[in-house]
Amino acid sequence: MTGERAEHGVPGAPGGPGGLDGLPAARLWAAARFPYLASGLFGVQVTAVSGTGGVSVDAGWRLYADPAVAAGWTPAELGGVLVHHVWHLLRQHSERALAAGITAADATAWIRAADAEINDDLIPAGLELPGDPVLPRDFGALDGKLAEEYYALLRQARRAAGSQPTPWQDCGSGADGMPRVFDAPGGLDPWLADLLVRQVAQDILRHANGIGTVPAGLLRWAREVLAPTVDWRRLLAAELRRAVADIAGVVDYSYMRPSRRAAAVSGIVLPALRRPVPELAVVCDTSGSMTEDLLAMALAEVEGLLRALGLARRLRVLACDAAAAPAQRISSARQVELTGGGGTNMSAGIAAAYGLRPRPALAVVLTDGYTPWPAAAPKGMRVVVGLLGDNAPDAPGWARSVRVTQSA
Amino acid sequence: MSEPLAGAGGQQRTGAQDGNAAAEALGVAVAARVPVLLWGAPGTGKTSAIRAMATAMGLPCETVIASIREPSDFAGLPVVTGNAVRFAPPLWAIRLAEAGTGVLFLDELSTAPPAVQAALLRVVLERTVGDLTLPSDVAVVAAANPPEQAADGWDLSAPLANRLCHLSWETSPRSIADGLAGGWAAPQVPLLAPDWLAAEQLHKALVAAFLQVRPALAIAPPSSAAEAGRGWPSPRTWEMAARLLTAADAARASGQARSALVRGAVGDGAGVEFLAWLVEMDLPDPEEVLANPASFRLPERGDRAYAALASIAAAVAAEPTPRRWTAGWQVLGACAAAVPDIAATAARVLARCRPDGTPLPPEITLFAPLLRDAGLLAP
Repeated sequence: MTGERAEHGVPGAPGGPGGLDGLPAARLWAAARFPYLASGLFGVQVTAVSGTGGVSVDAGWRLYADPAVAAGWTPAELGGVLVHHVWHLLRQHSERALAAGITAADATAWIRAADAEINDDLIPAGLELPGDPVLPRDFGALDGKLAEEYYALLRQARRAAGSQPTPWQDCGSGADGMPRVFDAPGGLDPWLADLLVRQVAQDILRHANGIGTVPAGLLRWAREVLAPTVDWRRLLAAELRRAVADIAGVVDYSYMRPSRRAAAVSGIVLPALRRPVPELAVVCDTSGSMTEDLLAMALAEVEGLLRALGLARRLRVLACDAAAAPAQRISSARQVELTGGGGTNMSAGIAAAYGLRPRPALAVVLTDGYTPWPAAAPKGMRVVVGLLGDNAPDAPGWARSVRVTQSA
Repeated sequence: MSEPLAGAGGQQRTGAQDGNAAAEALGVAVAARVPVLLWGAPGTGKTSAIRAMATAMGLPCETVIASIREPSDFAGLPVVTGNAVRFAPPLWAIRLAEAGTGVLFLDELSTAPPAVQAALLRVVLERTVGDLTLPSDVAVVAAANPPEQAADGWDLSAPLANRLCHLSWETSPRSIADGLAGGWAAPQVPLLAPDWLAAEQLHKALVAAFLQVRPALAIAPPSSAAEAGRGWPSPRTWEMAARLLTAADAARASGQARSALVRGAVGDGAGVEFLAWLVEMDLPDPEEVLANPASFRLPERGDRAYAALASIAAAVAAEPTPRRWTAGWQVLGACAAAVPDIAATAARVLARCRPDGTPLPPEITLFAPLLRDAGLLAP
């Protein structure tokens, strides 16, 4: 079981805890080498636990180190191990392991994948780790991917080989979400851990903007923490639902049909409420500069959303390059015939949608953005623009727009 | 300024699971009578938790399913009496008004059509149904499924979203197992002292101080439709956040629940910045420490200790006079025994900004062996 333990990180514990004499020098080395990680490094509470055979972390920001093992490392090596483990916490590997459905049987492969995600940024930046640390190229993968992607590769490889890979170290429950016997109860509150992660992300951006250099992968991580990219499918869904809700919300009173409340007040004719059912049109850019697969993805998404709203039957699709082709009434995105090529003018497409009868209340325009736009919003028709591709120019201010990209 | 952060001292509380924090936050919001909305997947026990809570409080609970109602059910039904038209409230509102207290539970809020959401605006914030005003002791609680999870769901309109504190109701497999085996625990509504609102002015002042530093966050209407359905910063929600923090302190709520309440009121982005600012406020002021080095008390957590010492070293580096430089070394020297590595990291900053002609302080020798061990000093 667990041996004796001693804590560090609280005042009044001089030197290292319970035989971890090298810890202060190691942390100092790590904080000097990676100044932007200092908050994270000092935020970890270190406990000496003999007999674990390595160093591990838990999700409550506690680090358990075996003094016998740590004594054999130089300050740079122990410091490197600390940095490595702090990244397990910063990248929230235990939470992500739970989300990925990792069980005890898969934990080793998951830790290897998580290690690879960390090490591909840090080892090129000069981190010295003892032993044989895991790198993506060890299992034939490219750098800069997510642990989830590495894990999928490792699982395939394991199925082919039929054997368990050997782990670099047991990085603990902070890496795979499986509780360890030596994990102490309590720990840092999740909301405080959250603030700490954001603090490190801000430090990384500040460092990169100022004097120092930061590995590109860490910079990407920091930007993602501070301004997470939201899936365009969610944004597109919300914009469409909002547009449909606003149109359907134009509820008006009508005397054509008596109110069902009329019985309550005899002698008075109450109007009933009537709700318009929106007519819709989709304008697809089919010019030469468009990418087919992105357009198909976006169109399928629009169609699925409208089906969920019960409006798919009302969908009319116009293909448009320099001029708009006649509208097609379709029941599946696959039926769309993209006739077109050459130049682009979405003004023509929007005008054609506006001319349809009955007039659509909402037009969804899917384009790469390299097009002239009408100067003002068409009267009485809402426009939601799906901008396809990473480098699409902005849509005009009068339209709601959502960026659709391959990556997210 | 330690009093408003009393709850943050609960950082070492054990077993603060997210699900429990949401239940705790729900209890605090109900005790403060702030309208609250639970977001969660269908079938996760939102409805049963709210009913159990009302039963445990001994209060009548009126459940109104918004999605099958018409706007006139909330705006009142017109009745001609003599020469005037009265807007008659429905029976559930009359029952609540007669009881003088109770829980109004608006279920399935996100599947209510836009016209009904508009009619709900006055009910949620002003507790007005038709011509009847519900007693101020009536708690308004709502539940909704995220639009992605309910086929016929709408995003909440921004004005309605702005009147509610949004809590995510997530259930862990563990709590489901416990609930099946031993029955569902009702969220506890804390009993607040009768004068709990007296401390509200303090929290309002804190919010005001924060908004002076970050004026852009005073009012930030959501830019995309996806954000519109959740909490967003506005004068109303900041006031709500101040009231919720007051109630959380009075109820001695955990830090996790305080965080959920603040983020639920003003939205995730603004909420996290406000919480970070509150934690930052707890650090000692570097100028005061440099004026009186003996007054420095080392924060307990390692990252806070680092933040405090690094801010002192940065203050010296910004204006390195001999007196400030020596005072900085005195502070670091006092911390060298407790946190040698943290103090040494700050000492490296100090060592680089030595004012000309200042004698080396005796404290510098405390750090030399450690710096040498770390390979940061030529032997």
